[in-house]
Amino acid sequence: MLRFAVIVAMLLFTVSLLLNLYRMVRGPDLVDRILTLDSLYVNAIAIIILLGIFLGSTLFFEAAMLIAMMGFVGTVAVCKYVLRGNIIE
Amino acid sequence: MLLALIILLPFIGVLLPVWFHRHGRTACAWATALPPALGLVLLFSQAPAVLAGEVRRFSLNWIPELGLNLAFRLDGLSFLFCLLILAIGLLVILYGRYYLSSDDPMGKFFALLLLFMGAMLGVVTANNLLLLVLFWEATSLSSFLLISYWNGRSDARRGARMALTVTGAGGLAMLAGVLLLGHVVGSFDLDVVLASGELIREHAWYPVILVLILLGIFTKSAQFPFHFWLPHAMSAPTPVSSYLHSATMVKAGVFLLARLYPALSGTELWFILVSMVGLITMTLGAVTALFKHDLKGLLAYSTISHLGLVTLLFGLDTRLAVVAALFHIMNHATFKASLFMAVGIVDHETGTRDMRLLSGLRKYMPMTAMLGLIAAGAMAGVPLLNGFLSTEMFLGEAVAQRVLGGWSWVIPVVAVFAKVFSVAYSIRFIHSVFYGPSQPEALPKPPHEAPFFMRAPILILVGLCLLVGIVPNLIIGPLLAAAATTTLASPLPYYSLAIWHGWNLPLLMSMVAMVLGTVAYLNFARLLRLWERLPAVNAMDAFENFVHDVVIVRARQVTGRLENGSLQHYLSLLILGTVVVAASGLWGLERLNGGVPLSALDPPSVAIALIMMVTAIYSAIWHHERIAALMFLSVVGLGMALIFARFSAPDLALTQLSVEIVTIVLLMLILFLLPPRSPNDSTYAHVVRDGLVATSAGIGVGVLAYTVLTRPQQTISDYFIQNSVTGGGGTNVVNVILVDFRGFDTFGEITVMAIAAIGIFGLLDGMRLFDPKKDPNVQWASDKYPLLLLILNMPVLPLALMVAVYIFLRGHNMPGGGFIAGLIVAIALILQYLANGLRWSNNRMQWDYHPLVGAGVLLAGLTGLGSWSFGAPFLTSAHDHFHIPLLGEIELATAMLFDIGVFLAVVGATLLILANLGKLKSLDTASEENR
Amino acid sequence: MSTELPFLVELLVSALILAGAGFAVIGALGLARMPDFYMRVHLPTAGTTLGVGCTLSASVIYFSFSLQTLSVHEFLISMFLFITAPVSSHMMAKVALHTGVKFVDHTQGRPWPSRTQRPSRDNSQILSDWQTRDRKETE
Repeated sequence: MLRFAVIVAMLLFTVSLLLNLYRMVRGPDLVDRILTLDSLYVNAIAIIILLGIFLGSTLFFEAAMLIAMMGFVGTVAVCKYVLRGNIIE
Repeated sequence: MLLALIILLPFIGVLLPVWFHRHGRTACAWATALPPALGLVLLFSQAPAVLAGEVRRFSLNWIPELGLNLAFRLDGLSFLFCLLILAIGLLVILYGRYYLSSDDPMGKFFALLLLFMGAMLGVVTANNLLLLVLFWEATSLSSFLLISYWNGRSDARRGARMALTVTGAGGLAMLAGVLLLGHVVGSFDLDVVLASGELIREHAWYPVILVLILLGIFTKSAQFPFHFWLPHAMSAPTPVSSYLHSATMVKAGVFLLARLYPALSGTELWFILVSMVGLITMTLGAVTALFKHDLKGLLAYSTISHLGLVTLLFGLDTRLAVVAALFHIMNHATFKASLFMAVGIVDHETGTRDMRLLSGLRKYMPMTAMLGLIAAGAMAGVPLLNGFLSTEMFLGEAVAQRVLGGWSWVIPVVAVFAKVFSVAYSIRFIHSVFYGPSQPEALPKPPHEAPFFMRAPILILVGLCLLVGIVPNLIIGPLLAAAATTTLASPLPYYSLAIWHGWNLPLLMSMVAMVLGTVAYLNFARLLRLWERLPAVNAMDAFENFVHDVVIVRARQVTGRLENGSLQHYLSLLILGTVVVAASGLWGLERLNGGVPLSALDPPSVAIALIMMVTAIYSAIWHHERIAALMFLSVVGLGMALIFARFSAPDLALTQLSVEIVTIVLLMLILFLLPPRSPNDSTYAHVVRDGLVATSAGIGVGVLAYTVLTRPQQTISDYFIQNSVTGGGGTNVVNVILVDFRGFDTFGEITVMAIAAIGIFGLLDGMRLFDPKKDPNVQWASDKYPLLLLILNMPVLPLALMVAVYIFLRGHNMPGGGFIAGLIVAIALILQYLANGLRWSNNRMQWDYHPLVGAGVLLAGLTGLGSWSFGAPFLTSAHDHFHIPLLGEIELATAMLFDIGVFLAVVGATLLILANLGKLKSLDTASEENR
Repeated sequence: MSTELPFLVELLVSALILAGAGFAVIGALGLARMPDFYMRVHLPTAGTTLGVGCTLSASVIYFSFSLQTLSVHEFLISMFLFITAPVSSHMMAKVALHTGVKFVDHTQGRPWPSRTQRPSRDNSQILSDWQTRDRKETE
């Protein structure tokens, strides 16, 4: 049952990734792409956690943790860039 | 050991003059004299054995894999040269103490002199050809530094450059020759090489080897056509000219002729090449010397001429010629060094070296005039002086040789011709300077006698000229015999060093030369007019034009064709080259699929691959909108991390993610300085070309990957997986490879990173660029530090640091490690800069990042060195397990210390670059705010 | 998935995973389908974050049972996400307002045009329309 659930979830996340790709390509504004990138990062966390459950391995937590952190820093940095130009001022 | 000490002493002593410089000039000279004096004592302690024909050897492995060993030998030949180097070196130090003015940095001068002395001793005692080349280059370098000692003068700098270029190029040719020689013989050991003369001479490469080595010798010893550098090296201080450019360094070439005589001589090619070059050089030098008005110029050409004479002797086919050559080397060193010193005194006390101004100085400096007269007599070959004896021997051999077959009579005739000029310029040297009417008002300085200690070295050398000239056997007999035995590698032919051999042909030739030389000097004015009608060639200009043509014009033509300033051009060249190489490899394959089944496709992986492909294409499409292209690229990076995770490479995923963000931050810092949109300046044809190149490269890599991955393969990873726990004490193979198996690579990498970071800092520090904030077309938000970010970012820092510590500590067994932890900390700190601003963050982090970088590299290096103290090779790790509450089982290996080093270096380097890039733009903004 | 879990636990984990995936898809659908940025920004932030939250809870339960110790990494990740998600969406909204991203008519709430934040031309057109409409209403 769990195996089935994980596979279905994986497929759903795949759909979600593709929807994100659509928005990434469509835009239309820069900020839409920033939003999509952020959303992709969050989806990636879930996918990695699912992969961990699927393989029964805890080796992937660090990667998930890092994605959470890096996604945030990336988004904030890009936003700051658009707002102020200089991200470290 | 004693032997090695003789060579080492000057190198150790280099610091002495620098240190004693502050204690006054006399103390400085005394300190400098200490190493050569000690060396001389050590040398004499070896004298009985060496003169009896023994060879002292010392050997220490250095890089045995290359055949390069610290091997030294002291035989008769080395002994002779060591004696010259050390004894004349001592006299030059004494002379230099009084020659240099108080404005000249004496410490530097003596330090360089000792450096040269050590290098020269190394050349003459090296028992390994590679070592010899090494010291050979060191003499070229120290000569360069000494010629340009007065580096404020342009002629000194140009002369030094020229000397270095010529002798350095010759040294390279010689290195090539030595490598070939070593290949032929199978060893660079001089003992072996000298014993395999037959083998070398019969080898097909012999002509190449000989020509290459002779190139080195001829450039160093200023032989035609490479003689032109020596006169320009005369812009060096006179002690240097006297020491390097007459007594020792230029003798390195003829020394090598003597050293390799058993191995290379004895063939037609040798006799013709060496004797002809010697003959031309001797004649050319002697003739030119007569017409030089500069005293040092005259002596320089005279030196060239005498070196040509020695070379000629080595090229003659009689065994006695070698004895004569060695004898003349000694004699020339004594009289020429003293003449240079005399010229130095004249220059020092009158302010000029121009013979047209100088006249009648005998009245003002009688002692110097006297000494100069004797030394010049030796140069001209006047009886009762040492020059006479070796000249007689030379003329005797010139008559006896049969090098040119039926044309052999040419050599003695030309020899007498050169001798005539040699006599004439010796007379001119003495007569025009010391005799004639005295006209002190024409001189820049009122002439007077030099201090006694400045004359003392000349006195000693001239005394030697006389002693050798009168009682040759007593003074020099055994030394010459020992040196000649080594060179000939066989019992000596009979010769007599007596002054009187009865009336014979050489004596007659000598007398003819004397008479004709005097006649020539009497008609000097007429000869000069003839000479001046010849087209004048300025060697310096010709040389510099040549170098300019080769280095600047030609090189620029080649570079200009390859590097036309278009990045697309470079990249297409590189990529197409790679494609061609890879394609030619793939072409030979029968089929691309190697038989290993492909793994099954799963929807998420396909989706991720699709996303990566689409976004990669879009980033190319959107490249004019830089920031949008960056967003697309970030998606590709994230996809990459997911792919790494999918194929069970969590370490790679972690690294990819952290590097990704650091890169994004870095790019945005730089994008700020660029226009937000890049203009469209590629033509349609260019776009098509670039597209084709990129597509072919992409397809090529794809095909290559497919071909490799479908083939069964043996990877080295099995070894690492098996040995990671036993050898490195960690279960995370990636980390164990980084800090243990391949620790040395990592060490090199962090060192490079540290250097790069500091280099970038150096470039950015103080750089001022246009502040895009002043661009009126762009509107910026007024909210510098959004409140929500400012507040909520606070708990992120401790969380991130905790994650970093966790990843660091577990790194040895689980995914993680110093590199990733370093990047996490760096990113967490960058976030503080981002949210709170530079000023706020700098107030809370009041340290420089440079020491952090340095500390990291140092710690990693020390960890590596630490294993030495346990007798293990560099970077061997020791490990044990500890149980720490909360964290669980922790591996504490010395590799952990190394990892801390990596961590510190990464944090330091990243912040050094990013924070300074941020600061760069704030320079202008800050000044604006203050206004 | 080697270890056998009690049925109820497995049910709970499966349910949480499916719920998480469902939220994520809703979030992504919203991102793809919503007419303007101001509406779009809600869905990934709320939906997807919640989806990941569910998945993380599933992971906590799953690993706590299969490894027999409390798995805490997920809490760390959740903490991170819940702290950072509002900040990111706040920043993105600021960017949208600053760059003057267009909005459709039925988007609720309007930014107050400040002196320093001069909107771009398209946006100012809409703003002026809105202001005249506002004035009419007060009249």
